[in-house]
Order: sequence, then C-alpha cells, then structure tokens
Amino acid sequence: MTTLLICLPLAAALIVWVLPMNPVSAGSLALLAALAEVGIWIQLLVRYDFAQGGLQFSDQHTWFSDLNVSYHVGVYGFSVWLVGLTVVVMAAAIAYGFWAGRERLRAYMGLMLFLNGAIVGVFVAQDLLLFYAFFEAILIPLYVLVGVWGGPGRMGATLKFILYTMAGSLLMLASIVVYGLSQHTFDLTQIGESSSQWIFLGFVAAFAIKAPLFPLHGWLPDAYRESSPEVAAVLSGVVSKAAAYGFLRIAVAKFPQPAHDFRAPILALAAIGLIYGSLLAFRAPDLRGVIAYSSLAQMGLITMGVFTVNDLGLDGSVLQMVNHGLVSATLFLLAGMVERRTLTGELGRLGGMARGRPALATVLLTTGVIALAVPLSSAFAGEFLILAGVFQRGWGWAVAGAVAIVLAAMYVLRLVSAVLHRDVGPAVSDSALDLRPAELGVTVPLLACLLALSVWPAAITQHSFRGDHGAADVAAQFK
Amino acid sequence: MVWGAWICLLSPLVAACAITLGGTRQSRRAAGYLATTSCFVAFVGAVASFIGLLGRQGGDRQIISTAWTWITGGSYQSGLQILIDPLSVFMMLVVSGVGALIVWYSIGYMDGDDEERRYFAYMALFVFSMLLLVQAGNLLLLLAGWGMVGLSSYLLIGYWHERPSAIAAAKKAFVMNAIGDATMALAFFLLIQKGNSLEFGILGGQFSSTVANLVALGLLGGAVAKSAQIPLHTWLPDAMEGPTPVSALIHAATMVTAGVYLIVRTHAIFEQAPRIADLAAGLGALTLLVAGLIALVQVDIKRVIAYSTMSQIGYMFVGAGVGSYPNAMFHLMTHAFFKALLFMAAGIVIHALLNEQDIRKMGGLRQFAPKTYWAFLFGSLALVGIFPFAGFFSKDSILAAAMAHGGWYGYLLWAAGLIGTLLTGLYTFRLFFIVWWGEPSAFVREHFHALRRDVVGVSMASTVGVLAVLSLIGGWIQFSPWWHPVETWLQTVAEPIVSPESWQEWLSIALSLLLGLSGIAVAWSIYGAKRLAVPRIAWAQRTLEHKFWFDEAYDALFYEPAVFLANLLRRGVEEPIITDSGRDLGDDTRDLGGLVARAQTGLVRTYVLAIASSVAVLAVVFVIVK
Repeated sequence: MTTLLICLPLAAALIVWVLPMNPVSAGSLALLAALAEVGIWIQLLVRYDFAQGGLQFSDQHTWFSDLNVSYHVGVYGFSVWLVGLTVVVMAAAIAYGFWAGRERLRAYMGLMLFLNGAIVGVFVAQDLLLFYAFFEAILIPLYVLVGVWGGPGRMGATLKFILYTMAGSLLMLASIVVYGLSQHTFDLTQIGESSSQWIFLGFVAAFAIKAPLFPLHGWLPDAYRESSPEVAAVLSGVVSKAAAYGFLRIAVAKFPQPAHDFRAPILALAAIGLIYGSLLAFRAPDLRGVIAYSSLAQMGLITMGVFTVNDLGLDGSVLQMVNHGLVSATLFLLAGMVERRTLTGELGRLGGMARGRPALATVLLTTGVIALAVPLSSAFAGEFLILAGVFQRGWGWAVAGAVAIVLAAMYVLRLVSAVLHRDVGPAVSDSALDLRPAELGVTVPLLACLLALSVWPAAITQHSFRGDHGAADVAAQFK
Repeated sequence: MVWGAWICLLSPLVAACAITLGGTRQSRRAAGYLATTSCFVAFVGAVASFIGLLGRQGGDRQIISTAWTWITGGSYQSGLQILIDPLSVFMMLVVSGVGALIVWYSIGYMDGDDEERRYFAYMALFVFSMLLLVQAGNLLLLLAGWGMVGLSSYLLIGYWHERPSAIAAAKKAFVMNAIGDATMALAFFLLIQKGNSLEFGILGGQFSSTVANLVALGLLGGAVAKSAQIPLHTWLPDAMEGPTPVSALIHAATMVTAGVYLIVRTHAIFEQAPRIADLAAGLGALTLLVAGLIALVQVDIKRVIAYSTMSQIGYMFVGAGVGSYPNAMFHLMTHAFFKALLFMAAGIVIHALLNEQDIRKMGGLRQFAPKTYWAFLFGSLALVGIFPFAGFFSKDSILAAAMAHGGWYGYLLWAAGLIGTLLTGLYTFRLFFIVWWGEPSAFVREHFHALRRDVVGVSMASTVGVLAVLSLIGGWIQFSPWWHPVETWLQTVAEPIVSPESWQEWLSIALSLLLGLSGIAVAWSIYGAKRLAVPRIAWAQRTLEHKFWFDEAYDALFYEPAVFLANLLRRGVEEPIITDSGRDLGDDTRDLGGLVARAQTGLVRTYVLAIASSVAVLAVVFVIVK
C-alpha cells in the first residue's frame, strides 16, 4: 500500500509524459491519479492500527546488500498525517493548475505527479539513501516548475533555490554517507543513535535550508513570489514539512545527545525566525510576501516544537505541520485567485473586494483567522501545545512565541483588510468575479479539513505517537 | 438539564452556519428571524439548565459534560466539555436573554442594510462564542471562547468595511485583545508545567506565591484587555464604529464584562495572590475615574455611553478584586439591562436622525420621541444608581464591600467609587439634558422621522420596552442589607471573602445616592436649566479630549517602534544581506558557467548531472579527509 502511494503518481506521470494526450485528458488523468492517492490514503488511515503504533505497511527489498541499503518504506502514526497532508494539498494544487490552464499542460502535470510521488516517498522512506533520493527527487520537478512556469523573475528565483538547496543536499549526503558507513547500515529502523555533532549539523543544515530557518531563507521570498500559486502552495505547504519531518525523524530521533547540546542555539534561531518573519510579514508590500514570511515564522515555530523533545512540543508540532500545510496552501491558492482577477499582488492596489464577492470574502476571512490561530481553531491548538512545550524548556522562548501571536494577528488582519476591505483598489475592476465553482472546489475541501481538525485536533495529537511511550522518548517511538 | 445546556450552546452556532451556507437563497429578513430564534432557543436551554440546577442541593450543583477529548499532548489533555454550575447558568441566562433581545432589535435596526445576512451570521456567531466562554468546562476552552468573542467582536466592529475608521477600530480591538490572550496563554503554560492540567480545579491547588502571582497576573492581563480597563482600554471607544446593537450586546452587556466573569471564575488563584487581586481592584478604580472624566467632554452619543461602560466595569473590577464576587456578578447583570437599554434607546435616536451621532446637533428630542425619552431616562437613572432603579441595588453593595476590604486601600477604593458616582451623575445627565431637553435644534426638526408600527418599529420598540422594565425591577432581586438570593445562588461557586457590616452598607447607600443626585443636579443646572456656565479650564479640557493621551503614547511606544523595527529589518538585514547575497552569488555563478544558467530549460539530465558531480566531489573530499 505504501509502495502503491509512491508508484501510482510516478506511473501516472510517466503515462502523461509518454502518451500523446490532449491537455484535457492529461489534466483529467493527473487529477484522477491525485484523487486516487487521496482515496488510498484514506484506506491507509482507516487500516492503520493507531493503538499498536509503530511502523506499519512496511515493504522491504534489498538494494545493495553489502552496504545494507534497501528499498524500505512504511508509515508511523505521525507520518500517516504528513502523507495525508501531501496527497490532499497535491490534489488541490493539481486541480487548480488544471483549471487555470497552464501552458504545456502535459509536461506540467507530469512534473506535478512526479513531485507528488517524491514527497510521499520522503515521508515513508525508512532507508537513509532512499530518503535522500526522494528528498532530491522533490527538487528536480520544483526547479523546472519554478523556472519554466514561474513569473517574470523566475530565473533568479530558480537559481537561488538551486544554489541553496544544492548546498544543503551536499551536506546531508556527506552526513548520510559517513553515518551509514560508520553504523554499517542505512536502514533507519536499524541504525543506531549517534553522538557525532558534525553528522548532526550536516543534517540540520540541510533541513534548515529546506524549511527554511532564519537566516537560511534567502531563497524563500523569490521562490514563493515567482512560482505559480499552486507550486508555491506545494512548496510552503508540503515541501517545507519534509524538512520538519527530517528534524523529527532523523536529527532528533537519531542524535539525541547533539540535539540536546544544540537545543539552545537551534531554539534561538527558530525563535528569531519566528519574530523576524512575523515582522517582515507585517511590512511586506504584497500578498505573497506576507504569506511567504509568515511561512518562515511558522516553520520557526514548528522547529521549536520539535526541538523541545517533550510530549507537548512534539504532538503540537505534528499538528501544526498539518495545520500550516493546509493554511498556507489555501492562502497561496487564494492569492493566486486574487492575482488572476487583479493582475497584481500589491496590497496597495487591492482593496474592497468583499463587496459583492461573498464567497471570496468568506473563504479568505476564514482561512485568515485560522492562520492567525484564533482560539478554537486547529492552528491555535497546535501553537498552544508547541508553546506549552517550549515553555518547559525556558519561559523566555514562550514569551517570544506569545509576542509572535500578537504579531500574527497584526499581519493577517492587514492582509485580509488590504484585499477585502476599505475602498475599492485601483487594480480591482467591477468585472472581477467572485470565486468560481471550480475555485471553491479547490479551496473549500482544504478549509473543510482545517475546520474538521478544529473540531477535533486530538485526532492528530492523540494518534501521532505510540501511546505506551511518551512522545518524548523519541527513540522508543521508532523501534 | 445537560441537554438544555448543550442546546443553549449550539443553537446559535447552527444558526450562524446555516445563514453563512444559505447565502442569498434566504431572504435577509429570514436570516434575522433565524438568528433571533436561535438565541431564544438558547435562552430556553439556559432556563432549562437553571430549573435543573434548582432541583438539586447546593453541593450537587456542578455538572461537567464532556463531548470528546479536544486536545492532547502526551499525558496532558483537555476535553470539549461544558460546566453547568450556578455561575455558568447565571451567565448563560444573562447572555442568551439579553442577546436574544438585542438580536431581535437588530431586525429593525439593520433593516435595509444590503449585507444583513452577514450581520446576523456574525451576531449568532458571537452569541455562540460568548456562551462557549461562560459554559467552558476548563480553562483551555474558556480561552477558546475568549478568543472567539474577540473574533466576532472584530468582525462586527468592522462590519461596515468600506469605512477605514471601522476597519482600523476592528483591528485595534483584535490586536489589543490578542495581547490579553497571549498573557493568559502564558499563565496557562505555567499551570501546565506545574500541574499538567487546565481543569478549573487546578486553580485551588497549592502553588508557591510566585507561581500564584504570575498565573493571576496573566489572567488579569486577559481580563483587563477584554474588559477595556486601563491600560488596555483604548480599543473600546473606537469600537463604537460598529452598528449600535453590536455596541449594546458586545461592548456593553456581555463581552466586555467577561473579564469580571473570568476573575470570579478563577477566584481561587486570585485569593492565593492577594496583591494581584488588589491590583485588579485598583485598576478598576482608576478606570472608573478616568473613564468618568473623559465621558464629560465626549460629543458622540455612543462614545459617552461607551466610556460609562468602561467606568461601570471598573466598579465590577473593584467588586471582584476585593472578593465580593456575588456583587460583581449582580452588577454585571443589572448593567447588562440598563446599558443595553441606553444603547438601544440611543440606537432609536440615531436611526431616527439618519445615523447622526453628534449630540451637539441634537436637542429637544423629548417632544418627538416621548416613549424613547422615558426609556432613556430609566436607563440613565439606573446607571447613576438612583432608587428604585437597578443600578442602585448593585452598585452600592460594591462600595460597601470595598469599605469592608479594610485598610487604607479599601477606603481609597471606596472613595474612588464615590467620586465615580458623582461623575456618573454628571456625564449621564449631561448627555440626557443635551439630547432630550431644550428647544429642538434645526437639525432635529429637519431630519427626524419617527418609528413606524411595522416589523421594524415593533422589534425596536418592544425590546426597549422589555429592557426598560428590567432596568426598573431587575435590581430588586437583591438588596444587600435585607435579602440576597444572588449571593446564596452563587455561594457554592464563589463565596465572597468580605462581608460588609450593616452600617457600611447604609453609609455607602446614603453617600452614593447623595453624590449621584448632586451630579444630576449640577448637570441640570448647566445643561437643563442653563443657570451655570460650563467651567472652562483649557489644559483640563485638552487632556480629556485627548483621552489622557493613551492612544498617542501607545503609538509612540509600541506601534511606531514595531513598524520602525520591521522596516529596519527589511531594509537593513533582509534585502541587503539575506535576499540579495543570494542574488549576487547567483549572478556570479551565472557568469562563471552556462550550466546553471540554463537550468530553466528543464532538462532533467542537467540536474542528474549536477547531483552526480556533487556526489563525486564529495566522495573525493571524503577520500582525502580519510
């Protein structure tokens, strides 16, 4: 089943690329495959035994036996949720790309499907080299998607993205090679804990670039601005979670001692990123800028949660990974929908779009208030748990988080007001329509997931880590 | 009974969702009726819970009903649970009762607004949120309700979203309240660390005095922000940008009094932190004076009433701070009646004058709207606390409690409360005489149009009537020197820690009546009979008109520095160092080789090649290192 989740989109990608289909059938096939992924995931969710926990639906085939490298995939409780996030957001992104009618749709859809398979692969791979392969495989379609289908500044954006991520990848590869060779296996379920600080830092650097963490986010504003909205949605919603997953699954779980030793500096970087991102989001001049920097802030928060290495922080960060993935994907898609109507994302030229466009106003406002973590929303539940966990590692960190809560209210309300309220902006013409049914069909399911999680956030927090071990005993979780 | 409480909580939520999803398929009027009905259903549910509790003995009057586990974090968990006890039922009755009346009134007031449905969806959402706040069975859920009322308040203040001033006021209210939410959250983190639980019961546990003080301080931060007490009060006057029924419901009768409810609900921790409780009372006393002074010079009819709200909540804070919980709650209830009445009557005036709120343009309205005149008079007398109106019964016992608190601090609070009574008489009747007495102004003659006897008129007039009756008789349920059912009812939840002597009661009653009447007399001689001139002291006038410069100070202290810092980071760090360094690097690389520059051709093999070559480089590096 896990293998099917990886292979289905890859196979669909191959079909879309190879067969001479017209754009409509290529798009339909891609969407069908993406929806089938959601269906398979629901099966996985229903059949995963949360009471037992641990690695399930695993599938192992030897690859290089002398190095103990194997094709080994499987899911843990918390990775079920991340896989779910991936397939849901990818389905929405593919549907939106199809509806928006991207040029050279066959190539585009093929890349999106490939991306889908690769991201799922990252979340289920149980072998370090396999993990690395998928981690890199994510980048290939992204380079092309940003570089070819992006906005006017796509060249520079792609270049920066490549340089940053390549640098990270090289460090991680070095760490993997040294780590695997020294432990005589690359199997994540078998490989022992290590106390090597250098290997740890190699992993952390790679994930910190991908997340990104302050100050390694140089690629972020441009990449999020220049890519098409659905790609930005995937980048910030899902791809960044691969990094958070890496922090949890590898950096914290396999390097308990270094993770403990480096806790303070990592928490500090994450907290700085949280405040810094929030402040920049507050002053960003355009829609995408606000969402991009808020994403930086949120990744800082999630990283803080992971590195608390206590129950509250870990449960909260898994929940918040899903929340933020859904929120920022929805926001980027909505930004794209607004930009489609106004041809600009500049906040100064927007405004007054609520009048006569109730669907847009309702969806944007609801997503916005979840993004600012209004109490009773799932984002509130996630942030609350993370900060409660962080508080136990030092109240100062939690105070920084509390300041960020206030800043989040400021930047989200600024965004919402700038689009919806006040006088009608110069770029908003009366002919700009309300959200079309297809656009609602893309955003409303994402929003519905968020609302469902708001009703029952414990769905994730209770079903992420094995019950009989505290989540804080990370190593025991993965045995 | 448990079902009654759940129905009470959920019926407004159902209505809010139905109106939102129904969209234009339903008529505007239908949305109004739906919201009103849901609030009346909630009231019925509250009454059912009340009757259910009445049938039980004192000690059994506490039922927790858990729907499911809402959130977990390791061994910590909080359920989606409601608490039915005398205090929550008391609040449920007030919130759903007054809420239903005001939503009903809105059918008339909002008639003809082209986004009426949105209004009623927000109102229903607010009533749900407020009920969640008062019914919450644990602190986390209380915080959830706390945030949700803040959200609905934001939505309703900014309801007329084309007005920049309304949007700015809405954002200000939300951000100010977010500060309070944040301090509460910090207090909760501390509780989780110390006790791994957010049940109400944990507050009674033994904490070191530092912990108790910090937790109480965090809670007080939330209470002060929500209840617009100094220093987090500046959002409330601006919140009058919202429609008048919103001001009546949210910014007078229910939400802004939530801070008082919070202190009473969590009194166990305040009793462990007496200094923080004193601080609460002190802030209340300060607020009641400052707000009373500012109200003297306001010229907007709603803002005068808004400042009087701040001032009255100040009294409640004094009551809750000194530990006279039942009296604070009692004043909360009577205040809900008479303040809602004042806002609604003012709403009729504003409606009749085509949305004019400037009292300088009003005058002599008595002959145009005699019934509203009487309603407004009832409300004003109740606000000043004149026998036999509602405010008389509730305010004086708070003063007596402050006196019984003892020490110089108790007497200070008492004196502040008495001076506040004088101010209340002054500003309330200044407003009253300016608006209703004298010769009708040209503006009034030209623009006044009376309510008709249709749905619009009836919905507005009947609500005002009901509230006028409540303002007259609502206070009689408790008269501290002789009978106190409110105190008995709340005894198991919030037993008062001060018990005034009977002479303290009577002295407070006599003095506050006297001062209230003198305030009215002075107002009458200046604005009614026009025998005295308004004293003009330039610096005082300026200070009051600038509302003691709080807004200016906060702008200079917090907002401007935040903007400055953000701009500094953007121009000084983000753009030159972080974003552009990548660009330069990129440019250099592009100059160096064509490989990366051709990245956008999308040739997969380019990337494979790049990755492979980097692997090769790395392998070499490792060989050399070894």
